[in-house]
Amino acid sequence: MIQEHEARVNVTFAGANGDLPDPVSFDATDGDIKQWVTEALRTGGIPGIQVTEDADLNDFVVDRFAKVEGVRPFNLLQLRPKTPFGA
Amino acid sequence: MSIEAGVLIDLDCEPIYWHLPKNRNTVALPDSRELWDVIWENRERVLGFAHSHPGSGTPGPSYEDLTTFAAIESALGRRLCWWITSDTQFIELCWVGPKKLSYVRGPAMWEPPWMAQLRKESKYPRHADTLPEIAIPKESVFDELPKEWDAATASLMIKSDGGKS
Repeated sequence: MIQEHEARVNVTFAGANGDLPDPVSFDATDGDIKQWVTEALRTGGIPGIQVTEDADLNDFVVDRFAKVEGVRPFNLLQLRPKTPFGA
Repeated sequence: MSIEAGVLIDLDCEPIYWHLPKNRNTVALPDSRELWDVIWENRERVLGFAHSHPGSGTPGPSYEDLTTFAAIESALGRRLCWWITSDTQFIELCWVGPKKLSYVRGPAMWEPPWMAQLRKESKYPRHADTLPEIAIPKESVFDELPKEWDAATASLMIKSDGGKS
């Protein structure tokens, strides 16, 4: 059960998508979240995503979605690659 | 004044999605959750992504471009083609390794038909429809090696060139 102050962490990496097994604080910093997920990716800690010993999420961003009653009854943190381009 | 634009390309070299966000400007396409969602939804058929840079002449990737290429590819779990166009020329890039940002230019021998539309969406002072002639790079990819690229990439390129350059 994900508590009010917690969030599910979801990441897309190596062509797959998965969740951290345990929720984290919804207020956790981007840096902490990326570090936890990086360690999980490197050790096979995310079901559905292959172990990647050199996983690097420095250029990923954390999108934060508050729970939506009747739609998603928990907060969600999603890690995805950044997408800016610049001259 | 031009404005940057992008387009996602499928395996048949046809446009999937024109990326023309409201917050784009002369020198940048800002980070976009929407663009990533489209890439992920089309992950089975996406070939690459093209975007425009301001000005004319041969464009080159910025550090922002290269790190975005690498991040998207690591999320997809496979490599893509990356095109950058200016008002008059375009380049195509792909990763050859060994390092994270070891992208090199391909020969760009053939200009895809959507490139003119990309220039038009970029609102160059003179877009492709009105140019008397489009200057397409004909020289080898190995002729111009950006100075900031690392020695490992340089040695790989020399090897690919048969050591002639």
